Amino acid sequence: MAPPRTYRCESIILSYTPLDEADLLVTMYTRDRGKVRAIGKGARRATSKLMGHLEPLTVVQMSMANGRSMDIISQAEVLQSFSELKGDLDGISKGLYLAELVDGFGAEDSPNPNLYQLMIDTLTVLQADTESDMPLRFFEFHLLQVSGLMPELYHCVECRIELEPDAHRFSPNVGGTLCLECNPEDAHLRPLSLRALKVLRLLDRSGIAAASKLTMDDSLASELKSLLSTTVSYWLGKEIRSNSFLERLHKDSLPEVYK
Amino acid sequence: MTQENISGAAPSLARLVQELNRLPGIGPKSAQRLAYYIIRLPDDEAYALADAVTSVKQNIVFCEECQNLTDASPCQICSDPRRDQTIICVVEDPLDVLAMERTRSFRGLYHVLHGVISPINGIGPDQLRLKELFSRLDRPEVTEMVVATNPTLEGEATAMYIRRHQGRTDLRITHLARGLPVGGSLEYTDETTLTKAFQGRQEI
Ligand SMILES: [Zn+2]
Ligand SMILES: [Zn+2]
Repeated sequence: MAPPRTYRCESIILSYTPLDEADLLVTMYTRDRGKVRAIGKGARRATSKLMGHLEPLTVVQMSMANGRSMDIISQAEVLQSFSELKGDLDGISKGLYLAELVDGFGAEDSPNPNLYQLMIDTLTVLQADTESDMPLRFFEFHLLQVSGLMPELYHCVECRIELEPDAHRFSPNVGGTLCLECNPEDAHLRPLSLRALKVLRLLDRSGIAAASKLTMDDSLASELKSLLSTTVSYWLGKEIRSNSFLERLHKDSLPEVYK
Repeated sequence: MTQENISGAAPSLARLVQELNRLPGIGPKSAQRLAYYIIRLPDDEAYALADAVTSVKQNIVFCEECQNLTDASPCQICSDPRRDQTIICVVEDPLDVLAMERTRSFRGLYHVLHGVISPINGIGPDQLRLKELFSRLDRPEVTEMVVATNPTLEGEATAMYIRRHQGRTDLRITHLARGLPVGGSLEYTDETTLTKAFQGRQEI
């Protein structure tokens, strides 16, 4: 029998499921191979050399061997553990939200190094400030962009006229912004304020560091959050499960009178 | 499981295969193998298996105190007057209680969460036995809570959530010592390591 083929890849761990015999089924997103699912043999035993290297939100240099049905993790070297992010409940819940989206948008055998880099960059910025929600908005917007689903922000998607600086409407279904004249039958159609359009255009043009410094009032923040997470969830084809824990933490942090 | 796999099989056999297939880690092939194994068992052994399943469903309840699985509530540990009533050790699941009891180093009470906060799997605080924990913590005789969730990301997140949401200011909250390797699980940790981790527990 030929020896198993081995390969190395830089990965970020997204999640794992415990299997029999202290094994783990690990889902990771790799820089060069897209999403990969692989087995960590005996990884939950205290004596395992994989122990602690396979926690979600850890950047790992993986050595893998091709197995019969699934690849086997033979070695894992931690490159970045994001330990400050993981020492904070908001940091963990935001990081896991990103992980769920990368799992949903990333595909096996379909490398997307831009998506990989977006995840790393967003975790890095989140680690410096776990309270801000702007890194999540930047991530959602650019997740659409690197997935080829970038919403149109400059012309009406129906009649193609250039949009005036005005309130418009938005729908993930038709691919972005609509002028007030065009009225396609569309259940996803929603109003879009001029302020929100401006922030979307800014997210388009700026890097994550600048975008994350943006501050806004609650009503604009919640318009953007709702618009982007609805769009992401529309393309995902299902509800984003980790969103409910994020919202729970947000609600818990409000003063009693707002609950 | 697909219809073709079981077409041609007797309906009662197909039903058994289907039920076994629902169990975690049991795929359609294993389910079939187990079903044929059960058919070949002597009658008394097969009925003993069926009876064990029925009996566990009829008799096992959650302890009204610690939420562990028990035949009678409150459970043996909660109703034992020799246990230290001032300290509650919070664990993820019943197997962790067994692991801690094997060390014989803990003489207080437990609280079983039945899981951890797992946002990606849609498991939040309401799916765990947290309300029951917080109401036990309201009793003034309780002076210490040892949070013994597994040293995994979700276990740590659960510990942080508990710390943030418990209402006492005078409660000593401790964590198993960092001797436990990250990513490990209490279930797969040997007794010596677990005892050391417990004795070296630190305030957080
Ligand atoms: Zn138009
Ligand atoms: Zn009990």
